Amino acid sequence: MAAATTISVPFDVYRFDPTKDRAPRYVRYNLDVAPHTPVLTALLRIRAEVDPGLTLRYSCRSAICGSCAMVVNSKSRLACQTQVGPEFERHGRVVVDPMRNMPVLRDLVVEMGSFWGNYRKLEPHLIEDPDRPMPKDTPTVMTPQQVDAFYETPRCIACAACYSACPAVEADPEFPGPMSLAKLYRFVVDPRDGGTKERLLKIQPNGLWLCLRCHLCTEACPKDVRPSERIRDLKEMAIAVQGATEHGSKHAIGFKDNIRAKGLLNEARLIRQTYNPLEAVSLLPQAARMVRKKPEILKAPKAIDGIEEVEKLYQLLDEEKKS
Amino acid sequence: MRIAYYPGCVAQESGRELDMATRWVATALGIELVESPRFSCCGSGFVDEANMILNVALNARNLAIAEAQGLDILTVCSTCQGMLGLARHKLNDPAIRARVDPALAQIGVTYKGTVKVRHLLSVLTEEYGLATIAKRVRRPLTGLKVGAFYGCHLLRPQAELGTESAEEPHAFEDLITALGATPVMYRGRVMCCGFPVLFVKEPTANRIAAHQIEDAAAHGADAMATPCPLCHISLDSFQNRAAAEVGRPLHMPVFHLPQLVGLALGASPEQLGLPRHLVSVDSALDKIGPVAVPT
Repeated sequence: MAAATTISVPFDVYRFDPTKDRAPRYVRYNLDVAPHTPVLTALLRIRAEVDPGLTLRYSCRSAICGSCAMVVNSKSRLACQTQVGPEFERHGRVVVDPMRNMPVLRDLVVEMGSFWGNYRKLEPHLIEDPDRPMPKDTPTVMTPQQVDAFYETPRCIACAACYSACPAVEADPEFPGPMSLAKLYRFVVDPRDGGTKERLLKIQPNGLWLCLRCHLCTEACPKDVRPSERIRDLKEMAIAVQGATEHGSKHAIGFKDNIRAKGLLNEARLIRQTYNPLEAVSLLPQAARMVRKKPEILKAPKAIDGIEEVEKLYQLLDEEKKS
Repeated sequence: MRIAYYPGCVAQESGRELDMATRWVATALGIELVESPRFSCCGSGFVDEANMILNVALNARNLAIAEAQGLDILTVCSTCQGMLGLARHKLNDPAIRARVDPALAQIGVTYKGTVKVRHLLSVLTEEYGLATIAKRVRRPLTGLKVGAFYGCHLLRPQAELGTESAEEPHAFEDLITALGATPVMYRGRVMCCGFPVLFVKEPTANRIAAHQIEDAAAHGADAMATPCPLCHISLDSFQNRAAAEVGRPLHMPVFHLPQLVGLALGASPEQLGLPRHLVSVDSALDKIGPVAVPT
């Protein structure tokens, strides 16, 4: 077999030692590589052949261990699973940064304490139900259907690519992050777990509703765990267990009830559904500013034609849920 | 071209300037917007969180309305596009169909799955064609540097929506180029605007919006443009709150996508509802020349 044609690729790699350097810098390395070379292999070549000081985490090189998550051309992903060729084709170079949302220890290695701390807080283990103690000597057998309910989440390798990609983590330390919530879901739907209700009661006031459903975690995940979809599931389950207890759930339930009336959103009413009068007062200056330019905010929409069909769908698919 | 126009709630209410600009552009380009007073809200992601099956059923009804007209659906909102598109995908799942179809039958609706849902951005870039649009430009937006801001639901989840690229799209930048302006590339263009938590925890939403606006500005953008009226609320209507939250001044004009197209095709700022914005767009208008031939 003929050797693959090589391409000359510039790599701009983030370098920073917080104990010595005043600011991070990018170092350019030019490398001739075959297009299918993984970015991790290229980085290891740089370390072996050019710059032994380059610091990075890795282990299996096979997308199993989850150690080599970093930011390649502004996307959070596994370096071992990202080929150089397509990146070079799209961007003309390969820019390698450490993961976001965590402090840099050195170069491409970040300190993952907040990631693991959030995970630990959600008690990622089976909680025994005192009324249904687990047998001590025999395994608990689950049906394939029971396993299917959460077959995606055990694939997670805790690489933290989702945590790095998440704009909610970036903006608000109260958000536990996509992986923690996906893992929480895994225990909530596990038939052996005795803590389902308590888990849901605990998570609703603790950041669940800060998920932006931007799906960046789902796109970043190398194992197709689809955290954003599991977070959606948790929101619906949390509402079922305790109803609306805070702005997020009040807003979701309020929105659902809002469009039942006319088929279209009544914007002013939605504010009243989400906020109590005292909170609404704090929004008044902003509301007044908007109403001056957009007076329609105060007007209720006209009901759509066929609003009775909408009402019927609510009766069939929403009332049923309440019972 | 005839297409079923699904304006969504915001374009009919606080974001009426989006509807004004869409109609102006459609007329200018000869796209016939077929309206229906029967369309209901897409659920905006919130109904999906409260009751997923109900949300799919409501959108199956919306899709069926266009099916009965024999037309594809045109959206002008990334969120409507995402919600209708996601419902369309979920309706391929037999388990979901088994729960939704009997309810639809009771209101006399049959969903067949023949209708496509298309955002104005893809109608303009794929169907209408950038070359044709470029030929109709009467006021090239030369000298204006524009940061496209896509809105999450236009792009993700990619597998379900079948979008061009979840993280590296270019249709909007291609359109900006066709209008004579210069697209600005920045990380924030595919990020979240913060809107989903604007009514959950406003400071968090404000910080996210400020982050994207400052990212666009740092890369040289004179203005941003968005295909989503919810992003517009975060980026324009709440820009003052975003600035207050981060403690830095912000001034970033934010156009709705059809407003930018309309400007290049020769519409006046009033025809496009630009005076309705909370952040003045004058600094952006000053960068572009007058219309070559008066309308």
